[in-house]
Amino acid sequence: MLLIAALAAGWAQAASPKHDMAAMWAARHAVARPLAVAAAFDGAGRLWVARVESGQLKVAHSNDGGRQFTWPVAVNAVPETIAAEGESRPQIAVAADGTVHVLWNVALAKPYTGYVRYSRSTDGGRSFAEPATVNDDRREISHRFPVLLAEGKRVSIAWLDARERQAALDLGERFAGASLYAAESGDGGASFGANRRVAAHSCECCRLAVAWRGGQPMVFWRQVFDGNARDFALADLSEQERFVRASDDDWRIDGCPHHGGALAADERGNLHMAWFTQGQARKGLFYRRHDGRVFSAPHKFGNDEAQAGHPSVIATGRTITVAWLEFDGRANRVWAMQSRDGGRHWAKPRSLASSEGAVDYPILLARQGRPWLIWHAEREGLRTMALAK
Amino acid sequence: MKRLLRLVFLAIALSAGVALADAAKPFTADTPAVLAQHFAGKPYLLAFWSLDCPHCQAELELFARLLRERPDLPLLLVSVDAPALAPQVAARLAELGLSAADNWQFADARAERLRFAVDRRWRGELPRNYLFDASHRVQAASGALSETAVRRWFGMVTE
Repeated sequence: MLLIAALAAGWAQAASPKHDMAAMWAARHAVARPLAVAAAFDGAGRLWVARVESGQLKVAHSNDGGRQFTWPVAVNAVPETIAAEGESRPQIAVAADGTVHVLWNVALAKPYTGYVRYSRSTDGGRSFAEPATVNDDRREISHRFPVLLAEGKRVSIAWLDARERQAALDLGERFAGASLYAAESGDGGASFGANRRVAAHSCECCRLAVAWRGGQPMVFWRQVFDGNARDFALADLSEQERFVRASDDDWRIDGCPHHGGALAADERGNLHMAWFTQGQARKGLFYRRHDGRVFSAPHKFGNDEAQAGHPSVIATGRTITVAWLEFDGRANRVWAMQSRDGGRHWAKPRSLASSEGAVDYPILLARQGRPWLIWHAEREGLRTMALAK
Repeated sequence: MKRLLRLVFLAIALSAGVALADAAKPFTADTPAVLAQHFAGKPYLLAFWSLDCPHCQAELELFARLLRERPDLPLLLVSVDAPALAPQVAARLAELGLSAADNWQFADARAERLRFAVDRRWRGELPRNYLFDASHRVQAASGALSETAVRRWFGMVTE
């Protein structure tokens, strides 16, 4: 009888001529499986993981590389619609003093809208502060895809923000893409400075990638160039409207790639980037590095015939590791390739893990100078794996 | 039990005949081959969209206009949304005046499996269009097609 009621309700809604976009958005989130997790190692080598369960972000840590975890602690006491699939990813970072910083995206009622929420724990993850909304623009528009960096007392947050886009639309004007916004804390997350625009005309729904280069919070993101070329850009988050074009793929698309890039910095200050494109100049997954002056030529990797995508990159000493996802028709598989000379030459890629269920993107982290793979799958749960140095 | 459920389902389907006619057909891993056979020797356009893709909505509005002008266009609309979102997909199509179009919806919540059956190179960017000519040579395009391009491809008069 319940089944009949449910089906009938479904059809009643389908037959209704007036479509409720807010209901569509809510339903979209209700069926989403929050597979996207956040993971970070602290200085002592403990693995911290944040994941979404029933509208709450829950944080746990492991002293043994992910075999056993502490009982998860809820960050937000009041459940809310947290976006945690694909490009929408919760964030976690642990500072040297043990402060655990977390960041997530709450979906609002209107489609494509959201707020950026932040919280921290100063008691080793036993409890979290009341969540704070980071975006100071509180219209029901997009403030989404947030990322987090924490080092010492500095916390840098960046996200994609539609406030300039909305202002243009309100005037009946067009606006390409959204804007990249940032907010910074100098007191370990106790307070944040005003929201600042880093760049106008970002692509709207590709995740951001961030990494510390020395004391610089660097960001790598898909930007809308020359009208409509959705290629990548690189900037220091603490600067404004000063970015360099990081890829010249010329991917002109009136659409949503839903496919952000990856960024890592090595101890010499070189940056390592990986990204996906379907541009006129090149198609597929690519890696390149930047030594502070010039970019290396894009290096292609991954199997185009197996949907190769969603890369992650990490630098450990002179070793650079890149991981990505492929689907072979049956299973999703994480592949990885390594370079021992800072990204100049690459060993043959190898398969690290597979799953025949739904999966999250692969995450690469550094634990005391060694690369680790963290991969969340619906069937197998959270898998962690130490890779060769 | 399964049989009983099927009967219940059928009974509701019959009582809600109009609404059922609006429902998108399930797009499975076999569908691309079935369509190729159905359109043997004829061109067709396979257009993929989703509820959470803003650029897709503009393209659907264009398709709605063209279908009003030429209801017989060999144009197939495929929502890649999860099967659980069928009511929302049907409602969105109704709002766009596209209920009578040749509508399909992904029958598997794991979209990568169906994408693989369509095109191994497609990573999921939307909108995604496949333009098959009469001999089924295919041109794949990511991003919304322009009205001029679609009209030219269908051999329609440009307004």
